[in-house]
Amino acid sequence: MSLAIAVALLAGVGTWLLVRGGAVRLILGFILLGHAANLVIIAAGGTNRRVAPIVDGSAPLDAAADPLPQAFVLTAIVITFGVTVYLLGLVARIAKKSPGSELEEGFESDDEGVSRR
Amino acid sequence: MLAASVVIMGVGALIAPLLVRYLGRYTGYPLALVFLISGLLILTEAPDVMSGATVTQSWQWVETFDVQFTLRLNGLSLLFAMLVLGVGVLVLSYAPQYLDPSYEVGRLYTVLMLFAGAMLGLVLAGDLILLVVFWEITTLSSFLLVAGSGTSGVWPAVRALVITGIGGLALVGAVVVLALRTQTTNIEEAIAVAPGALSATDIAIIGPLIVIAAFTKSAQLPFHFWLPGAMVAVTPVSAYLHAATLVKAGIYLLLLFSPLFTEVAAWHITLMGIGLATAVFGAFQALRQWDLKSLLAYSTVSQLGTMVALVGVGTSASLAAAALLVAAHALFKATLFMLVGIVDREAGSRNLADLSGLWRAMPITAALTGLAAMSMAGFPPLVGFVAKEEAFYAFLDVPQASWTADQQWLGFAAAAIAVIGAALTLAYSARIFFGAFFGPLTQRNLYEPSWLFLAPAIVPAIAGLALGVAPWLLNGIIDRTSQDVGFPLVQSDLSLWHGLSIALGLSIIAITLGLIIHFRRESLLRWVGQETPRSIAPEVFDRIWYSTLSLGARVGRSAHSASVGVQLGGVGILLLVLTVGGFFVIPGAADGLQPVLPDIAQPVDVVILVLLVPTVILLARARTAIAALVLAGFVGLIISLWLLLLGAPDVALTLLLVEILTVVVAAPVLSRLPAHRGLGSSTRAGISAVVVGVISGLAVWVFTGRREASSLSEFFLAEAEQLTGGTNVVNTILVDFRGLDTLGEITVLFAAALGLLAAGVIAVKRPGEDVLGKGEQAVLRVGSRVIIPLLLLAAAVLFWRGHDEPGGGFIAGLVAGSALAVAGISGIHVRLPQPVVILALGLGIALGSGLLGQVLGGTFLEPFKVDVPVLGSLTTSLIFDLGVFLVVVGLVRTALQRLDGLDQDSQDSDRQDDEPDRDLDSVRVLP
Repeated sequence: MSLAIAVALLAGVGTWLLVRGGAVRLILGFILLGHAANLVIIAAGGTNRRVAPIVDGSAPLDAAADPLPQAFVLTAIVITFGVTVYLLGLVARIAKKSPGSELEEGFESDDEGVSRR
Repeated sequence: MLAASVVIMGVGALIAPLLVRYLGRYTGYPLALVFLISGLLILTEAPDVMSGATVTQSWQWVETFDVQFTLRLNGLSLLFAMLVLGVGVLVLSYAPQYLDPSYEVGRLYTVLMLFAGAMLGLVLAGDLILLVVFWEITTLSSFLLVAGSGTSGVWPAVRALVITGIGGLALVGAVVVLALRTQTTNIEEAIAVAPGALSATDIAIIGPLIVIAAFTKSAQLPFHFWLPGAMVAVTPVSAYLHAATLVKAGIYLLLLFSPLFTEVAAWHITLMGIGLATAVFGAFQALRQWDLKSLLAYSTVSQLGTMVALVGVGTSASLAAAALLVAAHALFKATLFMLVGIVDREAGSRNLADLSGLWRAMPITAALTGLAAMSMAGFPPLVGFVAKEEAFYAFLDVPQASWTADQQWLGFAAAAIAVIGAALTLAYSARIFFGAFFGPLTQRNLYEPSWLFLAPAIVPAIAGLALGVAPWLLNGIIDRTSQDVGFPLVQSDLSLWHGLSIALGLSIIAITLGLIIHFRRESLLRWVGQETPRSIAPEVFDRIWYSTLSLGARVGRSAHSASVGVQLGGVGILLLVLTVGGFFVIPGAADGLQPVLPDIAQPVDVVILVLLVPTVILLARARTAIAALVLAGFVGLIISLWLLLLGAPDVALTLLLVEILTVVVAAPVLSRLPAHRGLGSSTRAGISAVVVGVISGLAVWVFTGRREASSLSEFFLAEAEQLTGGTNVVNTILVDFRGLDTLGEITVLFAAALGLLAAGVIAVKRPGEDVLGKGEQAVLRVGSRVIIPLLLLAAAVLFWRGHDEPGGGFIAGLVAGSALAVAGISGIHVRLPQPVVILALGLGIALGSGLLGQVLGGTFLEPFKVDVPVLGSLTTSLIFDLGVFLVVVGLVRTALQRLDGLDQDSQDSDRQDDEPDRDLDSVRVLP
C-alpha cells in the first residue's frame, strides 16, 4: 500500500510536469516518472521480505528480498541518468542555438522578479 | 567450374568501378570478356550434361538448418545459363557504343555485373534458400538499374520493385512450406520426395505462391504493367534484363517446379489460361504502341505469355517447345532492342511517328531488323518459325497431357488462341519493319552506324537464321531441358518442313490473318476503340499504393505532435485497454484477487511517505529551476533511503550517487535558464496527473504484493553463490546470470554519451568562468586533495568487493565519476584519456570478456573461474564489470565536459606535482 501511494504520487506529479511543458519540467517529470517506474518494479518483487540479498549466511534466505527486480532497477537508474544527461544536452543545445524557442517557452521572464542568475 | 563461373562474375562486379576509372564507357569490352570466360567455364561441363549427367558442387553453408551452398548444372540450367552469359557478351559489347559519354557508367556496369552474377546463380542454384537469395538480388539490382536512369525512372522502378518484391515474398513462402514438408532444402531431393511428402493442402498453398512469384517476375496479367514502365531504363539494360534474362526467371521457376503439379489440373488451367490471355493481350497492346521500346516491351509480355501457356500444357513436347521459344525469343528480342537503340541513336527518335524510310540511309540496320522481326513473326526459315510450329503442336496435344480427360476441344481452343496471338505478333512485327524503314526518307544526314556498333546485333540475327535453317542443332538441349525438368525423354525432331501437317496449316492461317491485320490495322483499332480493352491494373496498383501510404501517414500523424500529452496519451490508453481487457480475457483473472500479504507495508514506510509527499508537492510548485532541481535531488535521496530499508543496498547506493551526479551535471545547465511558469493548460495537466497517478497507484496495489517470492528469486538466492562464487546476488545477476542484458544496457549508456559528444561542445559555461569563484575554488581544492583520493579508494574497494557485497562496476563507476565532478568543480585538471576512448575501452573490454567466455567457456559471456596466485580464485565476470565501470566513468566524464564545461582542456597552470594516485584501473588523477 505504501508503495502504491508513492507510485501514485510520483507518477501523477511526473505527468503534471511533463504535460505542463517547458524544458526543465520535462526533465524533472522524466526523473520522477523514472522513480515511479523503479518503485513499481521493486514492488513487483514483494516488499514483505526486506533483508538485503547478500547470501553470506548471515540471514535466512526466506527473508531476503527478491534480487531480480533490484538488478533491473539498478541498471534502469543508470540508464535514466544517461538519458537525463542526453536530454540536458539537447535542452542546452537548443537553448543556446535558438533562444526563445519552443522549449524555453513557459519560463518566467526576468521582470517578474523570480529569476536567479 | 560452376563456382568459378559465378565467382568470376562477382569479381567482374568488383573490378568494374576500377576499370571505369581508366576506360570509361569502354569498360563494357573487358566485362564482355568476363562473361565469355564464365560461359566457357560452364561449357566445359556441357558434354557431361548433354550425355545426361548432372554436375553438382556443394559446400556446407548454414549448418544449423543443414542448408548447403549447392550449384548444379543440368539441361535446364545449362540452357538458361547460356542465355544469361551469351546475351550478356553481346549486350556488354553493345553498351560502350550506345552509352552517352556523359552517362554515369560506373554504377551501370557494376550493378549490371551484379545482376548477371545473381541471374547466373539463380539458374545454377541447387538449393532452395540459395535460389531465393539470388532471386532477391536480381529484383534489387534490376530496381537499381531502372531507377538509375534519372528521376523519370524512379516511379517505374518502384512499381517494378513492389510487384516483383511481392513475388519474392511469395517465393519465400513457397520455399518455406516445401522445405518444411520435404525436410530438405536441396531442390532435387525436395522435388523427388514431394509426391509422398506434400498433401493436397500443401499443393494448394505452394502452387499459388509459385504462380504469383513467376507471374510477377515474368510480367503476366494482371502484373504485366511494370515491364512497359521499366522501359525508361537505358537500352542495354532493356535488351538484357527485359528481353533475355530477368523476365525469363519466372519461366525458369515454373519449369523448375512443374513436376510438383503434373496431376494438378488447376495449375495447368491457370498457366494456360493466364498465359494465352497475356499472349493475346500483350500482342494487341504492342500493335497500338508508337514508341518502339514500348512496342517491344508489350511484345515481350505477349511472348512470355506463350511460354507460360506452354509450360502449362505439361507434356514433354510442350516443355521442349517452351525451351525452344525461350532461346529463340532471347535471340530475336535482344537483337531488336539493340537495333532500336541504334535507330534511336542515329535518327534521334524511336517513335514510329517520327521514323520513315530509314532503309535508304541504313540498309544493313534495316536488313538485320527485318531478319529479327521475321523470326519474331514466325516466318520461315527463321528459328522463330520453328518455335511457333512446335508451340502449335504442343497446344494441339493438350488432350494427351495426363491432367486432362482427353478433352479434344481444349487442344483446339488453345491452338486457336495461339493462332490469334501469332497473327497479332506478325502484324506488330511487320509494323516495326515497314513503319521505320519504308516510306519516304524524311531526315537528312543519316548514316549507317559503325560495324562495332552493329556487330553485337548481327551475331544473334544471323544465329536466328542459322538455327532456323538447321534447327536440329537444338534437338539435344531442348530434350535435355524437358527431361531434366522431370518429364520422360522424347526425341525432338526439329525441322523447318514437317510435310503438310496441321501445324503448317495453322502457320499459314496465322500469317495470312497477320498480314490482313497489318494492312487493316487502323480500322481494327477503330473498331475495337482506342481506349478498350485497357488494363486497369496500373490504376489499381496506384490506388493501393497511395492508400497504403496515406494509411501510414494517418497512423503516424499522432507521433508528429510536439505535445507530450499526445505522444504518451495513445500509449497510455493502449496500456489501459490491455490491462483492463486482460481482466476479462485471461481466464481466472477476474475471479478475485489474492489477499495482500502481511508485512507488505511496514511502519517505517510511513516515515518515508511523510518525507516524500511534501517534497514532491513542493517540487511540483517550485518556481525556479534550481529550487526544483534541488527538490528533485531530495526526492531521490528519500527514495534511496527507502530502497536501503527495503533491502536493496546496491540500488540505494546507485540512486544516491546518480542523484548527486544529476544535480552536479544539471545545475549549470538549468541555472542558465530563466525560472519557469506553467505553459500548458493547468486543468489538462491536472486531470492527466490525477488519472495517471490514480491508475498507477491502483495498478501497483492490485498487481503487487499478493504472492510469495517468485521461483526465479528463490533460484537466484539459493544457487548464486555456488554457481558464480559471489554472494551479492544482485551483482551476480548483473555480471554472471544476465550479462547480455547488462551488455545491452551499457551500450545504451555508450550511445547516450556518443549522442552528447556528437552534439558538439554544448557547455553553457563561458570561457574563463568556473562554477565557483577563485577564492572558493582555492578552499575547495585543499579539501579535494583529501576527498578525491578517498573517493577513488572507495571506488576501488566497491569495485573489488562488488561480487560479494554491495558495490560493483556501476556503483564504483559512479563514485569515480563523483571524484571527477569534485575535481571539476574545484578546478583541478584531471589527466585522463578523452571520454570517447574511455567509453570505447569499456565497451571493448565488456565485449572482449564475452568473447573470452565464448572461446574458453563455450557460450558468449559465460564466466569461468581462474586461480590467480595471491588473489585467489577470480571469475572473468570481474573483467566484464571492469568494462561496465569504464563505460559509466566515460559517461560521467562526457556529461561533465559537455554540459558543465568542466575539465575541458588542459589547464596546465593548475597542475601540481603531487604523486598521481592510482586506483585499481590505473585511472590517473593529477590534483
